[in-house]
Amino acid sequence: MDSSVHLDNVVMEFGDFTAIQKTDLKIESGEFFSFLGPSGCGKTTILNMISGFLDPTHGDVKIGGQAMRGVPANKRPTSMIFQNLALFPLMTVAENIEFGLEVRGVSKAERKKASDRLLELVALEGSGTKKVSELSGGQKQRIAIARALAVEPQVLLLDEPLSALDLKLRQHMRIELKEIQRKTGITFIYITHDQGEALTMSDRVAVMSAGRIQQVADPITLYRDPKTAFVASFVGENNGISGRVAQLNNGIAELDCGVLGRLQGRVQDGVNVGDNATVFIRPEHFRLQADSNMLTIPSAIEEVNFEGSYLTLNANTQAQTSLSIQLGSHQYTQDLIKGAPVSLSYRAEDAVVIGGDHV
Amino acid sequence: MFSQLKARFGSSLAVGILGMIAIWLLGMVILPQLLMVDYSFRPNLFPSEIGGPKDVYSLGNYETLFSNLIHLKIFLKTIWSSVLVTVLTLLVSYPIAFYLAKVATPRQAAFCLLLLVIPFWINEILRTFAWYIILAYKGPLNAMLLGMGVIDRPIRFLSGDGGVLIGMVYAYILFMIFPIYNAIESLDTNQVKAARNLGAGWIRTHWRVIIPHAKPGIATGCIMTFMLAAGSYAVPSLLGSPGSRWFTQIIYNWFFEGGDWNQGAAYAFLLLIICIGFIALVMRIFKVGLGDIAK
Repeated sequence: MDSSVHLDNVVMEFGDFTAIQKTDLKIESGEFFSFLGPSGCGKTTILNMISGFLDPTHGDVKIGGQAMRGVPANKRPTSMIFQNLALFPLMTVAENIEFGLEVRGVSKAERKKASDRLLELVALEGSGTKKVSELSGGQKQRIAIARALAVEPQVLLLDEPLSALDLKLRQHMRIELKEIQRKTGITFIYITHDQGEALTMSDRVAVMSAGRIQQVADPITLYRDPKTAFVASFVGENNGISGRVAQLNNGIAELDCGVLGRLQGRVQDGVNVGDNATVFIRPEHFRLQADSNMLTIPSAIEEVNFEGSYLTLNANTQAQTSLSIQLGSHQYTQDLIKGAPVSLSYRAEDAVVIGGDHV
Repeated sequence: MFSQLKARFGSSLAVGILGMIAIWLLGMVILPQLLMVDYSFRPNLFPSEIGGPKDVYSLGNYETLFSNLIHLKIFLKTIWSSVLVTVLTLLVSYPIAFYLAKVATPRQAAFCLLLLVIPFWINEILRTFAWYIILAYKGPLNAMLLGMGVIDRPIRFLSGDGGVLIGMVYAYILFMIFPIYNAIESLDTNQVKAARNLGAGWIRTHWRVIIPHAKPGIATGCIMTFMLAAGSYAVPSLLGSPGSRWFTQIIYNWFFEGGDWNQGAAYAFLLLIICIGFIALVMRIFKVGLGDIAK
């Protein structure tokens, strides 16, 4: 079944405020798609438009090719998992799961069968008669998933459903969600401000900022080849150093970065010699030894933090900018102390140059 | 309580405060009530006979109701009409309460609440008189309905129970709206969205999600409205015709026209007891606990 979601030139305005700038995006059938962005970027508005709680000001949402304008929330083939789960506290677990089927007039026996099957899917067999208040956070989470799946939606919408869970459980639920998506094969649209969640689970991620989609890509591309400075600094940690493009050569741009000399990185089309640009270097791409094949930024260590499997360092460059560096724990030596000089080196192909000043 | 007051005001003032509360409670609330209980079990006698051989306790005053068919009929009608008033008030108030709690913007809600409250700054008698004028045979409501062509001759709202029902629904609407409004307002809006999202239409969303959540508020509103309606005096005396007397009017008559306080007290207690029993029964049926209402 076609369960693709098409945001067809959608614009959402609230009075004078444009919550969603003109957006055209197609989410494929059976895809695990995430909207990633800071709070207030408009991602929840997108979810509300797909689920039917809002109709876009311009354009339309199409689900499975069908235009959805004017179709009320209760008639759409979507189902939502709310940030606070919104389980019905006065109903039992089974009644919660069966609610959507009850609405559709499914017989009691059929409903029972469905809720048993779903409780098994979320590994909570036999909890049907429990009250919602008797469940733990993780169990409630799973009941919310079961309830949303019970109506056999074409599209499952997830509004930061893991944000209330503790770290361990959150990581576990990521795997489980991915597994449930694989088993059911329906389209998952996931909203989060947590890049870890977006990167680990999604087939594709749309990074949003201020009502605009900055980039849509699979997680690896997003991390390796950010298209905008916002994506570069929002997805994963990054060090941005601004300069002016001095030279372009085979997809590598050389920036004149003042006191720091000339730094290089991969560049996309659209950046010309003489433009202002920023080179972004990931903390894990730095090494501490000078190397003639690599680019070097002489710095002094400011701070060393031991994080278990890895170390993070903060270093001050000669331009008095702070860089963060990540090293494997095995690279720890006694010399890494505050004030010690280091030559931070990186390979040009590991860095990315993006036009414009660093924000 | 004494130690808290003592810590704050010192022991002499604390004793004074508690003493005044005790005098107020005992002298002005408990003793008069006990006196009424005492009255209700004694026969109505000439002053010279009080304390004499005829002055013995009996259930006679209570039995009067069951031997006087007219009074019994009015008693049952009062209970039944109060139920009707309660149901009508609920039907009118629930949509308003829902609108105020979940649909209206804060500004709209504040404005509507003001509109609802302002008329209640006026004395109840005056408000009821206003309805007397509105509902009159040649009054504005009939004129409007005639003008709109809804009816072809005026309706006699004020003969029979119609006027009393309308007047009471209006008189007690705030007692119904506020508890329901409070209850619905505390409902997480995502619950409503979740029900909609799972395919529920508006009726089912109300029936399965919003009303169960608001049940304590609905119960509180219904109990208050029912008690006020059953004990109402002003509205039935002004808007009711002689043919639609309320039981409170009979109690009044015993006290102030019949001069039989003993009989009046017995009738008043019967009304109180039956009302409490009725409420307990209804709470049982709708599975509402006392704790829910106290919330």
